[in-house]
Amino acid sequence: MTNALAYAEPETQSAVRSRQSVTVEEPVAVSVRNLIKRYDDGSEANRGISLDVRRGEVIAILGPNGAGKTTFLRQITTELRPTSGSVTVFGVDAIANPESVKRLMGITPQEAGLFDALTVREHLELFARFKNLSKLEAREVAHDVIAELDLVNETNKRVGALSGGQRRRILIGLALLGEAPLLVLDEPTTGLDPSSRRGVWGVIRRAVDKGATVMISTHYMEEAERLSDRIAIIAAGRLLEFGTLEELLARLDRSYRLSYRDPFVPAGDVQVRHFASFAEAQRHISLELLSEYSIARASLEDVYFALTGELFVRTETGAEA
Amino acid sequence: MKRVTDIICVFRIQLASMRREVGPFLLAALVFPSGMYLFATAVSGRQDTQEQNPLRFLAGSIVFSLSLTSISWLGYLLLENRFTGRLKLFATLPLAPSSYVFGVLVFALVQAAVGTTALLLVGRAIGVPMRPSFPLLIVVIVLTIFCLSGLGVVIASCARSFSQGSLLTDTLGAGLIFLAPVYYAPEMMPQSLRMFSQLLPTTFAARAVQTTLSGGQAIGGELLTLSLMAVATLGLGFRLMQWREN
Repeated sequence: MTNALAYAEPETQSAVRSRQSVTVEEPVAVSVRNLIKRYDDGSEANRGISLDVRRGEVIAILGPNGAGKTTFLRQITTELRPTSGSVTVFGVDAIANPESVKRLMGITPQEAGLFDALTVREHLELFARFKNLSKLEAREVAHDVIAELDLVNETNKRVGALSGGQRRRILIGLALLGEAPLLVLDEPTTGLDPSSRRGVWGVIRRAVDKGATVMISTHYMEEAERLSDRIAIIAAGRLLEFGTLEELLARLDRSYRLSYRDPFVPAGDVQVRHFASFAEAQRHISLELLSEYSIARASLEDVYFALTGELFVRTETGAEA
Repeated sequence: MKRVTDIICVFRIQLASMRREVGPFLLAALVFPSGMYLFATAVSGRQDTQEQNPLRFLAGSIVFSLSLTSISWLGYLLLENRFTGRLKLFATLPLAPSSYVFGVLVFALVQAAVGTTALLLVGRAIGVPMRPSFPLLIVVIVLTIFCLSGLGVVIASCARSFSQGSLLTDTLGAGLIFLAPVYYAPEMMPQSLRMFSQLLPTTFAARAVQTTLSGGQAIGGELLTLSLMAVATLGLGFRLMQWREN
């Protein structure tokens, strides 16, 4: 594959040389400050989000539907103009220099159309050319990406003839072209079968090994847990928490989860309760004479529901305003 | 250099996308304008102006073909790219919106070249008397395509939905032909419409094409007007065609 930033603008070349040979001192890949996106109807999709993404780390962004994740990412990728706030990517102002910044990114939008009449190979080769790769380089890179995404058998098939999952993988492949130092992937594995999803995780990991920084939004907790170094939870346009999995788990007062079936309603749903300690959970089991139960450490899902549920309650009761 | 590569790539993507539609495209590029030629010839009745009417009808058909190419079909293509999310894909790339528009314009020019050549061959085959000045004809066609494509870009950028946009491009693609003295002499139009037609690019395109087909070269005014209109429509189109949403 070719060197990552062979195509960078002169002013950005000093900021990021390549994934493999990062000579820059800049430790922050993306810096977002007080990002606000307000639409004409007055609704706010992002309400003052601030965070830094360090070079080489994977950030997962979680949040319920309509939380503002895609809006947030689209402002970073320069597709959407923020109402206020700032975004810098490897030190380059993304709001003032969208084209320069896009040279530093590989982007998979949540929804984008492919050209049905093009073959997989044509798609990747032509789009590689936009990233300033020569014809030969584009051919090589397309070949590598096709192999990486397990699309070899589809190489010469028209995109229109592919399944939704295969099309999704092409969109991921387009982001990988040119080895951009920052990958912004908006729900890249939505619609993929479990095996393909794991394949994509492998692709992302390999990109990170080569030096990429990754921002990924997802609805899959397992994906966030397995892939990311830090996790941002967004709800109602706000950044609720941002930290490592351990840091997020530490936010929970009750970090043991007891799942059980009510002995008096054996056919009922599984109940879940959280406890501060293992012993406390055991006490509850004895007290309630539970026979069918399991105790586990709280997971990211518990943190997610605790945070987003709490916000939901605050919003519903008006405390949010 | 990157800009040129970008334009070529956009052109190649559009060209490859049209591979399976070459047959219908050629058919449409020929059938509508040729049909209009025959229709105009039939309804014009007398054949006394031997040379002028067939030439006017052929010029009209060429302009009709250009209008269909650059407003209806190009507009449709741009609308399709926008409303099927393909434009989003371009927006994620280090690609200037103007490169995208120019790439699509080159595609329109190729379509126009095919359509015009086919019509000239048909004209020759059915014995339309012409002494075309090809270099001038090419200039007229390029300017006309730029001018009309600008309108296609404006509609595709502003339309609120695919159906609204395609309705507008279809209406304008044909409307600009029938509201301008393309198939008939300006004297045959009502006074108010005649004045209005002076604002339409198709009026100047038809006059320029007819003059060049008859071997004439006095089309400085038409070329200037078409150039100004092209700058205006494309300028507006570029302004409206933005990757970044507000």
